[in-house]
Amino acid sequence: MIVAEDLTRVYTMGRVKVRALGGVSLTVARGEFVGIMGASGSGKSTLLHILGLLDRPDSGSVTIDGTDVLALSDHRRTLFRLNRLGYVFQDYALIGELTALENVYLTSLVRGDQKEEYLGKSTEILRRVGLGDRINHRQSELSGGEQQRVAIARALVNNPSILLADEPCANLDSQTSKSILDLFARLNEELDQTIVMVSHEDWHKEYFCRVVTLRDGLIEEVTECRRA
Amino acid sequence: MTAVFAGLKVSAFLAWKTIERGNTGTLALTIMIIALIFVNLIFLPSIISGVVETFNTQSIDFDLGNIVVEPREGSQYIGGVTGLQKKIERVPGIIGTSPRIAVGVTLFYRGSNTASTLYGITPEDERSTTRIADFMTEGEFLANGDTDAIVMGAILAGREGEEGGGLPSLEGVMVGDSVEVAYPNDETRTYRVKGIFETQSFGVDTAAFVTGDEASEVLGLHDQASVILVKTEVDGREEGYKRELLSYGIQEEVWTFREKTGGVLDQAIQSFNIINTISTLVSLIIAVVVVFIVIFINTVNRRRQIGILKAIGIDQQIIINSYVLQVLFITAVGALAGIVLAAGMTAYLTAYPLVFPGGPVYPVVETSAVLRSIASLFAVSVLAGYIPAWQIAREDILSAIRG
Repeated sequence: MIVAEDLTRVYTMGRVKVRALGGVSLTVARGEFVGIMGASGSGKSTLLHILGLLDRPDSGSVTIDGTDVLALSDHRRTLFRLNRLGYVFQDYALIGELTALENVYLTSLVRGDQKEEYLGKSTEILRRVGLGDRINHRQSELSGGEQQRVAIARALVNNPSILLADEPCANLDSQTSKSILDLFARLNEELDQTIVMVSHEDWHKEYFCRVVTLRDGLIEEVTECRRA
Repeated sequence: MTAVFAGLKVSAFLAWKTIERGNTGTLALTIMIIALIFVNLIFLPSIISGVVETFNTQSIDFDLGNIVVEPREGSQYIGGVTGLQKKIERVPGIIGTSPRIAVGVTLFYRGSNTASTLYGITPEDERSTTRIADFMTEGEFLANGDTDAIVMGAILAGREGEEGGGLPSLEGVMVGDSVEVAYPNDETRTYRVKGIFETQSFGVDTAAFVTGDEASEVLGLHDQASVILVKTEVDGREEGYKRELLSYGIQEEVWTFREKTGGVLDQAIQSFNIINTISTLVSLIIAVVVVFIVIFINTVNRRRQIGILKAIGIDQQIIINSYVLQVLFITAVGALAGIVLAAGMTAYLTAYPLVFPGGPVYPVVETSAVLRSIASLFAVSVLAGYIPAWQIAREDILSAIRG
């Protein structure tokens, strides 16, 4: 469960101060699939970065599963990201020199998992995202949709409490985007996976349990969707 | 501990995959540069060691033996040479002694003349002490009882029509020719050239030898010598033998060959070492620059990837270590390739040695020099790899991801 309270974040760009978040409070329950939407510059990526421990707010608090994550040291934050969070980036962010399987089990290696364990887990998760026959292919040998599936598999391999996705379909055609969103929905329904996803595509709303719409760094609207 | 090991395992995994699947051209070029730097690091020291080795060997084999016995202070000659020789040869480990009478003479041959040093020797003793007799290029070495014969070095004999270029030369003396020798006591003798030797040591190849009996007769000496050269069973233990000789009650001045040559050689070595230090520094700076640039470009190009790795929970130390391990690999392979290149270079220069005034110089690659080069190369490479990796890896995640 994520509880964010009164988050503010101001960026300084030269002499100009830009208010990205002006006091956002948000709670994401376990098993929810929450969409964060809004126009460019509305603060949706900033909010995701703060929830994902990639950035710190100027004020406010963030508690994830009871842990005050803002009080953690940098090293602890890194471990928290490794063990409790999963990320999917807009441009897949795979490591080019690694195969799909290696990209997926990399974080398991860091966790010190046994070889049989991480190979089994990674192969299974790749099979589950529909890439069972592509595990030994490198990034350059995969399509955009396949790359994003590898990124999703990587994010899920350690059973994170929360999956954070920053416009994961931005570089994909609508057909592939649909397959990725179907995959997210399935993960959410079958595994009760908590997902927070940033998007600016209206048609994505049908996949979300709840949509949080931001405008100028503030929550403009919260809408119940799929499960409403 | 487990976390540290797991971290190192990931660093090694990332490093190896980058090496295995990265740009092979850049990798090969970097390794080759490191290999050449390594060769440069050990080349000059090996030549310096070779010069020292050559100088020592030439001194022992042709000029001084291992130990030199000289007259007491104030005396021009050692007296009672025969008795002294026997005394010296009783010392365990002494395998030969050769008394020499040294005299500055002027040699005349077909209208040309030159000043040089003439040694009066006992041929049999000289054979037991030096190796000049093994380096005859024409004719034969002296024999006991020769009174009208002279042997001389190839430089002193010279070549017809060629001047000595500042060195003593009779410009083309051949075996069987007669040369006239003017002694400092105004005695003049004519000798038949019995042999010509070439040791490639300038000091020896510009000298001439007659028998000790002949020199003694001309100079009016009896059982006297300017110097006694002493040959020991083992090279390198001259100090011990010297102490032993002195303990046998020898009253004359006793020197090791190093003490006799030290000043000249030490000056040369000092100059070489200055050049070597400059060369080493330049090589290491090149190594630093190359490794720094390679890793810097690598990390800058992967700035976003480094940000992503941090974002998914990979500690920055793991990322830094992966670059350090790449550098260690590059340096290790480079040093290995450098050892192969250096071995090839050593083999070539052993077959075709560099010719120095003291004789042919063969490179002597000392293990300590190789280890020092490897250690310094690793130290500077790791430092040069660590700094750019650390600079990029410690960057804020979002800044890195945004590139």
